[in-house]
Amino acid sequence: MNPVFVIMEKEVRQIVSSRQTMISTILFVIIFAMASAPVTLVGEGNPVFLLDQVCFYLVLVLGIFTSYIFTGQVFLKEKQDGIVETLLCTPLSVREIWLGKVLGVTVPATILAYGAAALITAVAATLIDSPLFPSPPVLFHIIVVVPAFISAVSGLIGFAHLLLGMRDIQILNIGIIFGIIFLLTLTRSLLGPGFDVTWAVVWGSLLVAVLLLAIPFQFNRYINRERIVTTLPE
Amino acid sequence: MAVIEASGLSKSFDKKVVISGISLSVERGEIFGFLGQNGAGKTTTIRILLGLLAPTQGSARVLGSDLMHDDRVRGRVGVLLAHNGLYPRLTARENLVYYGRLYGCRDADRRAEELLFLVGLTDAADVAAGDLSTGMQRKIGIARAIFHNPEILFLDEPSSGLDPEAQHMVRALILNLAREQTITIFLSSHHLDEVQRVCTHVAILHSGKILVHDSVAHLTAGSGRTMYEVGLTDPGEGEKASEILTGLSGVGEVSVELNRIAMVLSGVAPHEVVGALVAGGVRVDEARHRAHSLEEIYLTVLQEAEAAV
Ligand SMILES: Nc1ncnc2c1ncn2[C@@H]1O[C@H](COP(=O)(O)OP(=O)(O)OP(=O)(O)O)[C@@H](O)[C@H]1O
Ligand SMILES: [Mg+2]
Repeated sequence: MNPVFVIMEKEVRQIVSSRQTMISTILFVIIFAMASAPVTLVGEGNPVFLLDQVCFYLVLVLGIFTSYIFTGQVFLKEKQDGIVETLLCTPLSVREIWLGKVLGVTVPATILAYGAAALITAVAATLIDSPLFPSPPVLFHIIVVVPAFISAVSGLIGFAHLLLGMRDIQILNIGIIFGIIFLLTLTRSLLGPGFDVTWAVVWGSLLVAVLLLAIPFQFNRYINRERIVTTLPE
Repeated sequence: MAVIEASGLSKSFDKKVVISGISLSVERGEIFGFLGQNGAGKTTTIRILLGLLAPTQGSARVLGSDLMHDDRVRGRVGVLLAHNGLYPRLTARENLVYYGRLYGCRDADRRAEELLFLVGLTDAADVAAGDLSTGMQRKIGIARAIFHNPEILFLDEPSSGLDPEAQHMVRALILNLAREQTITIFLSSHHLDEVQRVCTHVAILHSGKILVHDSVAHLTAGSGRTMYEVGLTDPGEGEKASEILTGLSGVGEVSVELNRIAMVLSGVAPHEVVGALVAGGVRVDEARHRAHSLEEIYLTVLQEAEAAV
């Protein structure tokens, strides 16, 4: 098996076995999904239209949030306790290690995001008491664009965790939380209440995700072994 | 053939010189002890050899390669650094298998069993690594480091932080490895005793410079003088014994420490010395040749280095 997948498999297993993180993340996902599903009843319009909006927005948010939490487990924790130095002595390149970890975050975070989408749809369908399904662009968004964002967020933050010292990472983490909240509020108000999830919106967001993912790929040469070792905590 | 070679290695962090002009070479099959106080630069040197740090000056080759850029050759080297590299939530076995697969080992499950047996931890195979004692974790760390049958094993202070019993077990394990697996070992330590017992060769590092680089046998043999030691039953007879010894020709550098008397013999046989003591009414408990301890050599070298400054 390719060592990238060996790393991926181990990260998935470790995330799933870390009970505390899993339980709190799953609870978070369930609560938000349940709480926002009734939105489909509130509006005047078409329930599919409203479900589309909720799914587009919320599944993406939950995916990004889960990705952020898991990335801390996979990248930061290993740096904090110095395991990463041993990993750097294996025949893998830094890029392979990074990639294996990003995939390891993407798999469980994607499964949780899919679960959230299914839950929102199921709850909404139950509430209006008729079968309900998101429109094709939103389905594509959930299946393809959300995982791309999950990878991009994990790739970027993981890259920063490898590159920076502990103090900088702490500052960064606070910045990320506020940044995510800010961006979400911003997009929400920009999109407005009546916005339609069209193919153009979905393709546009896929492009953003791919561009975000390209950044760490492009700047991979800055994470050499020395940089990682000299930013380990004492 | 030298499997580890460093020439003129220097490393500075923001103008702070940590090591300077380090040259050393380790032949296949040696157990090389890299001795130095805290902060002497041992870990920094090992990191450079492993390709984790780039030297400011000089070059390092392991198995003929620069490990920073040669991924394949890194696969022929085993490493146990200050951190054991174990994931606390994975079991001992899972940790071993994981690393084995990263190194591309084929039959990782069987090899894990073999190594758990070798380090005597078959019973702990399914215990989470984080729940094992520090000594057990270190042993699993060693098993992890040799999983892929490396040609060279780097150990950075393998016994630090262990209780005496665990230290003993780890040393026995290292000796066993070196004897039965013909593996070259590069071991850093600040335990003089450990290096003397385990290593075939030694380099003494002080403030980032190598002061001595030699075989342990050659160093401890001294310069042809016979070091001798007599133990007395009664420490109260030390002064009397010392007088008798000073009177004998061929006996020099007599020093008394409680019930032990050390001396240097030249042209006089040990039995003559013991005979003279017994005849003088001194109760001799034991008598033996004594090698220079690495500790004496270390202290002398250090004093000379400090005097030269
Ligand atoms: N990344 C770094 N940045 C700045 N200084 C460093 C760095 N790494 C090591 N040093 C300094 O270099 C010196 C040598 O450190 P090193 O860890 O190599 O010593 P050591 O011989 O391994 O010591 P110990 O027995 O404590 O492990 C120390 O003074 C340390 O503070
Ligand atoms: Mg050290």
